[in-house]
Amino acid sequence: MSPSFGRGAMTNSWQDMMNSECFLIAGSNCAENHPIAMKWVHRAKAKGAKMIVVDPRFTRTAGKADIFAQIRPGTDIAYLGAMINYYIENKLYDEAYVLNFTNALYKINKDFKFDDGIFSGFNPETKKYDYSTWAYQLDADNKPIKADSLDDPDCVLQKLKEHFSRYTFDVAAEITGIPAEKIKLIADTFAAAKPGNIFYALGMTQHTTAVQGIRCYAIIQLLLGNVGKAGGGVQALRGEPNVQGSTDMANLNANLPGYLPYPTNADVTLHDYAIKYGSVQHKPMVALLKAWFGKNATAANDYGYGWLPKNDPTNMPTQTEFFNWMDKGQFKMLFNFGSNSTVSIPDRKMVARGLSKLEMLVVADIFLVETAQFWREPGMDPKSIDTEVIFLPAAFVYEKAGTMTNSSRLVQWKERALHPLNDCWPDLDIVDRIFMKIRDMCADSTDPKDEPILKANWDYDDGHGEASPLKVLQELNGYNDNTGQLTTSLAEYLAAPIGTVSTGCWIYAGVTPPGKNLADRRDNSDPTGLGLNKEYAFAWPGNIRVLYNRASCDMNGQPVDPNRKLVWWDAAAGVWTGHDGPDVVDKTKGPDTPEGKQAFRMNPEGVGRLFTASYTSGVPSSPVPAESIAAIPIRGAGMTVDGPMPEFYEPIESPTTNILHPNVQNNPLAKIVSTEFGDPADYPYVLTTYGVCEHFCAGGITRNIPYLNEIMPHPFAEISKNLAKKLGIKDGDKVEISSIRGKVTVHALVTDRLQTLNINGKETETIGMPWSWGFASLNPGPSTNSVTMAALDPGAGTPEYKCCLVNARRA
Amino acid sequence: MDKRMVFVDTSLCTGCKACSVACKAWNDLPAEKTQLITSYQSQGGTTHNTWTYISMHEKYENGKMEWLMFKHQCYHCAEPSCMKSCPVDAYYKTDSGYVLIDQDKCIGCGYCVVNCPWNVPKTNPEIKKTFKCTGCIDRVENGLLPACVATCQPGALHFGEPEEMKQIAQARLAEVKKDNPKAQLYGDKAMGGTTYLYLLLEDPEFYGLPENPTTSASLIAWKDWVQPWGIWLLPIALGASAVSFVSTRVIKNMSKSKGGDIHG
Repeated sequence: MSPSFGRGAMTNSWQDMMNSECFLIAGSNCAENHPIAMKWVHRAKAKGAKMIVVDPRFTRTAGKADIFAQIRPGTDIAYLGAMINYYIENKLYDEAYVLNFTNALYKINKDFKFDDGIFSGFNPETKKYDYSTWAYQLDADNKPIKADSLDDPDCVLQKLKEHFSRYTFDVAAEITGIPAEKIKLIADTFAAAKPGNIFYALGMTQHTTAVQGIRCYAIIQLLLGNVGKAGGGVQALRGEPNVQGSTDMANLNANLPGYLPYPTNADVTLHDYAIKYGSVQHKPMVALLKAWFGKNATAANDYGYGWLPKNDPTNMPTQTEFFNWMDKGQFKMLFNFGSNSTVSIPDRKMVARGLSKLEMLVVADIFLVETAQFWREPGMDPKSIDTEVIFLPAAFVYEKAGTMTNSSRLVQWKERALHPLNDCWPDLDIVDRIFMKIRDMCADSTDPKDEPILKANWDYDDGHGEASPLKVLQELNGYNDNTGQLTTSLAEYLAAPIGTVSTGCWIYAGVTPPGKNLADRRDNSDPTGLGLNKEYAFAWPGNIRVLYNRASCDMNGQPVDPNRKLVWWDAAAGVWTGHDGPDVVDKTKGPDTPEGKQAFRMNPEGVGRLFTASYTSGVPSSPVPAESIAAIPIRGAGMTVDGPMPEFYEPIESPTTNILHPNVQNNPLAKIVSTEFGDPADYPYVLTTYGVCEHFCAGGITRNIPYLNEIMPHPFAEISKNLAKKLGIKDGDKVEISSIRGKVTVHALVTDRLQTLNINGKETETIGMPWSWGFASLNPGPSTNSVTMAALDPGAGTPEYKCCLVNARRA
Repeated sequence: MDKRMVFVDTSLCTGCKACSVACKAWNDLPAEKTQLITSYQSQGGTTHNTWTYISMHEKYENGKMEWLMFKHQCYHCAEPSCMKSCPVDAYYKTDSGYVLIDQDKCIGCGYCVVNCPWNVPKTNPEIKKTFKCTGCIDRVENGLLPACVATCQPGALHFGEPEEMKQIAQARLAEVKKDNPKAQLYGDKAMGGTTYLYLLLEDPEFYGLPENPTTSASLIAWKDWVQPWGIWLLPIALGASAVSFVSTRVIKNMSKSKGGDIHG
């Protein structure tokens, strides 16, 4: 979503779902994995909203759908492309919205091409794209040239039209297994009921084409004019309760907190950084460095920028790839906090190999999860493993104070409900203690590599010898040198001169004004009935509840939907105001100004990007201490590494060929980590994997709760009745599911909720398995990830858990 | 406390089973060892430790898949068979309509177990006591929602006064009937009316429920006729034999004084 809209987070909120007229829930099983969603979806349905579910299986969410379509795992882009094609061909898009709030009219570089599955700029050796042709035609002021009409063959809309013209309903039906009439029904239903809402979760992101799948959603919602409206948008339902918080704090290897780009070894100085990423990143980077290095960060030393480790852009492994690096001896030590890779990593034997090569593994968790005792797994040879394993008993979520940031960007403070048992510590205290001890040990060091540790601004003591989560939150909020106090608001942070404010995460600025903790508010009053709940906790940025809400107004700044008024331009007062915080560049710049027209201010063009062109807006806005007088660009666009428009590619292990371009079967940029791949002749069925309501992720916690084990006692493989009959399997029999990488034996669940699909003329079966089991806990069971395959989306690094090839036989 | 009702809108139930867990957590009931029975269902019936559970029902017809859920627990009937069958009067009913067991009186005989049309109460054979859903009377009488109702995320459970619940139920019935012609209310007529009122999307048989649950005829005969009147059997029998004893003597004496015996 970030390359399309400017921010990569749920655009609306949970409560806002009740304002929708139609839901497309595809790549999400929210009734099971985000049950709270159903509370709000049901309220919308009570008002007549329609629910469309697209899933490889008929799930508990599908049970509530008005329209259900069973899809072959990994083929979403095919039918979504058909929807885009249909909307453009038949002019079902919201023309005013598209003209004013997207880059539809912008003209594209004439050298941009797409041919037989590959975009222009592909380097087959590095398997990377050069983006220079994915660019706008620019005028003398470095601004994109707009066409005179949407019929101009150079304009973005026409590029989309040409690109998706291959995606007819019939082609999509061949690829996905969804009948063409049903795809059309979905397209018609969704376009007709506005505002329409799209939910997705790991069903969309755990593919080698993850980012492009989400891009399809962004394009559809921009075309239909659903972004920035109450009840509209694209809702990423995050996979863990605080993963939004984690990504805000940059657990992504290419980010710093607040989604700042992480500098590479080519960005030697702060000036280099500002030139490369735009002056808009300069201020938050300085503010971050000030938060981290305090008084030691000064203009003279580039604010300590030199103390930040730099990425090697040629080698940036993500979690899945790390285990192979451990196997090669790259790492001596792993700190493993609240993560259970032994169960959760695809093709998981890599994990055992990697962990076995470490000198030390430190696991912090509340139970002895599988990873904490990885050598005890049946089949392992502990005598050959030299790894020293230290287990740090951690406090559970209710035993520690702090914030959790949910999918709708809501930062919620909580106090501890009870003290940790025995000697269990909150993660903050563990990390604080370790860092303080390391700092102690380096105290007399003159080695430059120890400088960051010694110069770090690190003081979280709460006055009673424990680490204070509030102090951390306040550091994230930031301090204003000009007032000597906590920053009071995002606006204050944005207005302050560079180098005079600090913030550990600029999108959280304003969460803790002096004397207050807005994340702790629990006033759930909702005067508009739109579910804005402005006084409940704190939504980043700046407590804006519906992102891009300027797009809910016309070009006079007045709301287009009288029943869903979010913000508006108050001409008398000369400000943007409303029920929600206006998501505008400048509250005082009205709809007749260039700033007042922008709904997507985090994009350099200020509009939604249907085509994710390479572009950096050019006029410098703030002076930066410069060695040269070159103009520093303002803002660079977020890029999608594998194409400026989505394209359908088959999953890495697929039962069929890519009928759009057989020569380019898969995403050419997919990162392949597994080394063994099955042939459809030997492994004819498609396995998809997922969670169930009753267990959470790897089951490290939930399989130790007897009540949960009672309601979901063991794993299973869901098989269609057709397949069961062919294999001679009855419901309740044991079935062995095998891939070229491994096998598991589980309970067979024979059901009509999986039907045989017709794919490219061939009968194709899908098998489904939950993945929450491992050898430890009160409820041990086989781990599905023994069977899955590790290939990653090139942009997001998410593994393709959702599709691989397997065989099945009665065990 | 005035009458209460729980409206179970099965059309909104997603089968997450949180209600089953909330009930156990509130009532301090232990978890049980289970296996999947059918679909995602692991609990096959109530037990003395499982007072509510979800049954799951799949049907695939004409290319359309249905996956319906049903929450089982005590219905807290207006005319409960269990209470009728109890030989030691361990059952009692509150003004709010809840049917409860006084564990001090319960002897665990199991009569209520065999007489419930929905097979709800279950006896713990070790301590010889019978258990079932209490309607969370302890919560309800203290202004809280029953544990199951409080937990339900999708909003399938409603709690309140009967009139309000019936209104909601009727409105939902009208709504779901558009796409589910067999949709019906269940529990409104059975057993004198039940505290738990359901909206079903299919006939009761689809969910494995009795279509017309009633108290068994033999129980009615035994309890309404034999027992109340049967209490007189002994006194009547004794009385009859007393009368017979006296009257026989009298008749015999009468025949003695009248004549001699035949043999002279």
